[in-house]
Amino acid sequence: MHLPAGKISLTAKLVFLYATLLISSVLLVSYYSYWNIWQLFITNKTSHIRARAKPVIEHWLQDQKITDPTSMAKKISRRNLLPLARDLTSKDTVAIILNKQGDIIASGKRLSEEPTPPPPNLKYVGKALAGDNEVTYWSKVNDKAILVFLIPLRLQPDSSTIFGAIQMSTSLADIDQILLRNGSMQISAVAIVLCGGVLLGYLLIRYSLRDLHSLTDTCREIAKGDFSRKPKITRRGDEIGHLARSFNLMINQLEKMFDSQKRFSANAAHELLTPLTGLRGSIEVLLRGAQDNPEVLNRLNKGMYKEVNRLIRICDQLLAVSKLENSCHVEKQKIKIHSFMKDFIQQAQLLARNQTVQLLQGPSLTLIADPDLLEQILLNLLSNAVRYSPANSTISIGWKSLGQTAEIWLADQGYGMDEKTLTHLFEPFYRGSSACKSETKGAGLGLTLTRTMVEAQEGSIHVNSSSGRGTTVSFTIPLASR
Amino acid sequence: MKQIQILLVEDDPVITEFLRTGLGYEGYAVSVVDTGNDALNIIRDTTFHLIILDIMLPDMDGFTVCRRIRNRELKIPILMLTVRKEVADRIKGLDSGADDYLTKPFSFNELLARIRALLRRAGNIRESTRIIQGTLVLDTNRREVRRNGRQIELTPTEFNLLKLLIRHPGRVFTRETLLNRVLGYDYDGGTNVVDVHINHLRQKLRDRPPILIRTVYGVGYAFHPDET
Repeated sequence: MHLPAGKISLTAKLVFLYATLLISSVLLVSYYSYWNIWQLFITNKTSHIRARAKPVIEHWLQDQKITDPTSMAKKISRRNLLPLARDLTSKDTVAIILNKQGDIIASGKRLSEEPTPPPPNLKYVGKALAGDNEVTYWSKVNDKAILVFLIPLRLQPDSSTIFGAIQMSTSLADIDQILLRNGSMQISAVAIVLCGGVLLGYLLIRYSLRDLHSLTDTCREIAKGDFSRKPKITRRGDEIGHLARSFNLMINQLEKMFDSQKRFSANAAHELLTPLTGLRGSIEVLLRGAQDNPEVLNRLNKGMYKEVNRLIRICDQLLAVSKLENSCHVEKQKIKIHSFMKDFIQQAQLLARNQTVQLLQGPSLTLIADPDLLEQILLNLLSNAVRYSPANSTISIGWKSLGQTAEIWLADQGYGMDEKTLTHLFEPFYRGSSACKSETKGAGLGLTLTRTMVEAQEGSIHVNSSSGRGTTVSFTIPLASR
Repeated sequence: MKQIQILLVEDDPVITEFLRTGLGYEGYAVSVVDTGNDALNIIRDTTFHLIILDIMLPDMDGFTVCRRIRNRELKIPILMLTVRKEVADRIKGLDSGADDYLTKPFSFNELLARIRALLRRAGNIRESTRIIQGTLVLDTNRREVRRNGRQIELTPTEFNLLKLLIRHPGRVFTRETLLNRVLGYDYDGGTNVVDVHINHLRQKLRDRPPILIRTVYGVGYAFHPDET
């Protein structure tokens, strides 16, 4: 499929959207999991160190033989507390002991590889001295993250008398290292997942849209005029299958219209060719010498005159048909059927040759129709009835109500027509066998025109006839709603 | 020479009229019927040399008429006339037994040529290429004219003019007719050109009384053969 320059294909758009969604969701998930793991590590480490500190403090209390607050207060000195700070200090954790004023009494750091403890933060120290057992916070020493937590120093874990606080600080270098390794692993995994996901998505989208491409190609073929090409994906149950089916329906409808248009113009050409043959032949015969005989000249001239008139009639009717089909100038208004028919019957009596035209009055109705078109319909039907009825027969016109519509009928006692004629009756240019014998040849468009006029007023037309038994034509016209 | 009988089956009055007139002028005897049944009835009693058959007839189509004629094992040449130009229709026409097929609107000249060809094929006429009228011999194949054995050189226009006159001895042709049939329908010049050609012709034929190409005053020219 070729798109105009500068346009992005639907596949590219969908893949882009899909990739964006995929990347953002993967990033969100990995960030959340990273944070979760970090939290887990911290909690783990904190509880581990606290758990380790508890027996060390109890041991120190026993060692110093402290049993009551008074003896406890005496023991708060650098000499007594230094062993405790040393015991609490390990390779990555340093303890310092603060007195009730927040001053450092003893520091556990002795070796250079042990991390430097951060200076006490009085805000947190105050909290710990007030009895909070769980004070934990972040600090930074030499741009390295340090986790600091404070343990109040007291005789019993639940005693309210606090003599000082132990600040334990631990570097998070090990956690950082683990997370870094884990993070790089996670990044490569995310990259693989993303690449795979985007590729898979691209293939999936392409596969789903493949039928759309074939539909486009089919469209293009049809645009070139090849109606035999139909989309073959109509069995798909999804939207594209639905589109293909609607498309097929449209093509069939178009093809039908196209065919009828083609048939109409082919028929029109045939109709025009017959009088042209007469004209051309007559002129040729005249030029070859027949013009020297005045009697023959006159005869052929009369024939040519008839043919020219026939051509004009055909052209008139063709124009009328196309005018009516292209822009239906229907100006509907309310029509009282009684007075309308009364007027019409006066005209009808003038048109009849030797036949009697009678009006059979029906119920009083009000129609919604274009009076000019309605009159033309009736005149067309009447002239047909007159043409195909013997002298001294009766042509009746009447109407009845069908609820929402009125049915107007016109019945003659004429020659009628066989079934074959009846089925082709409304086809343009079709003429029954008896019509071929009739003196004034029409173009065979009268009834086509009549039907178009009836349908332009939202009515329908029906013919009832059998050979030798006359013909009844009836058509419907909508009634005015009361 | 016995007259060629042609049956025309056609229901369009104007086409019938000009065909009857035109073919009559060419020396054919034309009978006209306007339905298939009439055609089938008339060929039972009358012998025709050729049938010109329209396809669109009021009672049945031309194909049916053609098949019924062939079912009777009649070998009359049939020329079909129709407005349908499609190859399928031509094939259908020829397969139903027609010998030739002409689509409307046709040229009358072409129709005449096809009629001659069909008659020739059927062996109804041995169209002689030599026309002998008195001391004058005209060979249409060699395009050669001799008088008393002496060859006369003619231009193509003069030859065609002489051929037309010699084929219808005694018939008076107007200058317009001669102009139309020799120089074509679309020739726009005056009729004087006919007089010029006739004069040349007379000089080349050494036409002296009793004259061969006679002037009919106020009308045109006619050919009268001399006695041998």
